[in-house]
Amino acid sequence: MGKSWLRVYIIKRLIYAVIIALGILTITFVLVRVGPSSPADKYLANLAAKGQDIAQVTAAIEARYGLDKPIWQQYIDYIGNLLRGNLGWSFSTSMPVIDLIKTHWIYSFQLILLSSIFAAVLGILIGIYSAVKQYTKTDYVFTFLSFIGVSIPSFWLGVMLILVFSVKLGIFKSYYDTALPLFSLENLKALVLPVMTLGTGMLAGYVRYTRSSMLDNLRKGFITTARAKGLPERTVIGKHAFRNALLPLVTIIMFDLGSIVFGGAYLTEIVFGIPGLGQVSFNAIFAHDYPVVMSITLIGTFMVLFINMATDIAYTYLDPRIRYD
Amino acid sequence: MANHDLLEIRNLKKYYSVTAGLLSKKAGDVKAVDGVSFTIKEREILGMVGESGCGKSTLGRTILRLEEPTAGEILYKGQDIIRLDKHELRELRKEIQIILQDPDASLDPKMTVGDSICEPLVIHNIGDEKARAQKVAELIQQVGLDVNCASYHPHEFSGGQKQRIGIARALAINPRLIIADEPVSALDVSIQAQILNLMVDVQEEFGLAYLFIAHDLSVIRHMAHRVVVMYLGKIVEQASKQELFQNPLHPYTEALLSAAPSFKSKGKQRIVLQGDVPSPLNPPPGCHFHPRCHRAMPICCQEEPELVEISAGHFVACHL
Repeated sequence: MGKSWLRVYIIKRLIYAVIIALGILTITFVLVRVGPSSPADKYLANLAAKGQDIAQVTAAIEARYGLDKPIWQQYIDYIGNLLRGNLGWSFSTSMPVIDLIKTHWIYSFQLILLSSIFAAVLGILIGIYSAVKQYTKTDYVFTFLSFIGVSIPSFWLGVMLILVFSVKLGIFKSYYDTALPLFSLENLKALVLPVMTLGTGMLAGYVRYTRSSMLDNLRKGFITTARAKGLPERTVIGKHAFRNALLPLVTIIMFDLGSIVFGGAYLTEIVFGIPGLGQVSFNAIFAHDYPVVMSITLIGTFMVLFINMATDIAYTYLDPRIRYD
Repeated sequence: MANHDLLEIRNLKKYYSVTAGLLSKKAGDVKAVDGVSFTIKEREILGMVGESGCGKSTLGRTILRLEEPTAGEILYKGQDIIRLDKHELRELRKEIQIILQDPDASLDPKMTVGDSICEPLVIHNIGDEKARAQKVAELIQQVGLDVNCASYHPHEFSGGQKQRIGIARALAINPRLIIADEPVSALDVSIQAQILNLMVDVQEEFGLAYLFIAHDLSVIRHMAHRVVVMYLGKIVEQASKQELFQNPLHPYTEALLSAAPSFKSKGKQRIVLQGDVPSPLNPPPGCHFHPRCHRAMPICCQEEPELVEISAGHFVACHL
């Protein structure tokens, strides 16, 4: 069976993605601009202190960034620039937005990637173990811990981890050190607490979902027949039970990935002072730095859309019954 | 028909302990299979009937050691299965196979049908890739499907076709004995006959023995050479098919026979059983059947009847 219908499906999804991104962009554009204050406010506070004429300076700044034009004109200009690959100029950091993103994305990327791997690998292994050893003491302990893990909010966990591991025990630094080279053990060590903060909730969730999904499948008839065939228990669990249990897990893992890009990673970056896109975006919102807010929202949107599409495509390989034509 | 025993079961018991309360105090045992003995000869189809919950399926699974028996012996070709270690048990899997009731659930939905049939060959290192592919094609044709089916997934087949695949899968490693756990009860009546005929055909062709578990007496009548009737984990009657259907001795067998629809039963009075099967956790004293028996006597609720041979090959456990 070829998958020629898959190409048509991907093209369709890409077209939808562009439309959705445009919609989100428009909403964000309007939202940041209808706010009561202007990006010039910060300068003005400083300049007013130096005794300059505020009205004049405001006009000059707004003219410089095109903020004096009507909002629809600004919108058209913005989209036009975007299509030409120009993300705009960051007022608050005085550099092109694209450069700002280029220097900061890697910090978010490494945090999200490591947290997801940490949570998925450990969560699935513990979940399988719990399911296979259902109702043993170990299973009860894991189940209890995973309930706690699911319930803890990540920003609180981050603060607690800092309190215990950096303040009391002094094992890890409480602040992320940007001077460390990217591919080094020190950098990995610096990421331990942030990864635990961001990953624990997901990890606990994956334990729950893996366990129940595995138990569902272990009850099925084909597991009995697989055992009757004389397959070793490891093959029965790994090949027959786990492969079938994987589908709901992929859904949840990918969904989490999408939601930490927008949510969890922001908080963790701020708690640990990691200069990733979450931190940048957080600062930009307070500085009314429109182009930065817009660009990071746009990146997040595309990430989520891409992750969703990748999930749907992964389904077709995991479950031969799924077709999208 | 060869006359020596392929499988002999002696006093097999399978209890599930039931716990109650927070401290997991043992509350008692569910005696799913309680002291069952019978034999299956080579190339013989032994039918096993009984109501839901009487321990038929547990018995089947225990013979394959998918469940660990509580007590008793399972002798396969004179060798006690219960004492086998992991490695020997895997060898045994080549000899005994199982066909399950739900054809849909018994095939891995993620594997092509060909792979599912082929898997036991791979596991037991039988033949090279080419020989295996040929064997799979042969099997698929033998169960009456098209060779191309091998590359499809289970969801693309109907229930009857899936059960044919289930049979092909069980046959792949040339077993001597197949435990068929209600293989047709999930299928339409029109398909049931096809599958049963297929099972008879392959039985003759491959020289198989079946332990054929069913709750439908007409299915048993079509298939079996000998019949075992179970009630609440015990055998109540055992006889050749002709003997059992013409001369049932146990009141429970009588009731089952009279309940089975048949063209000849017009005018005959039907014996309708009252109530449900009692809980195997707390079976009634004496003969387990006495609360529902239409011919119960005072002795029935005190003494448990032994399984005794009334005439050659006809065993019954009843005080009558």
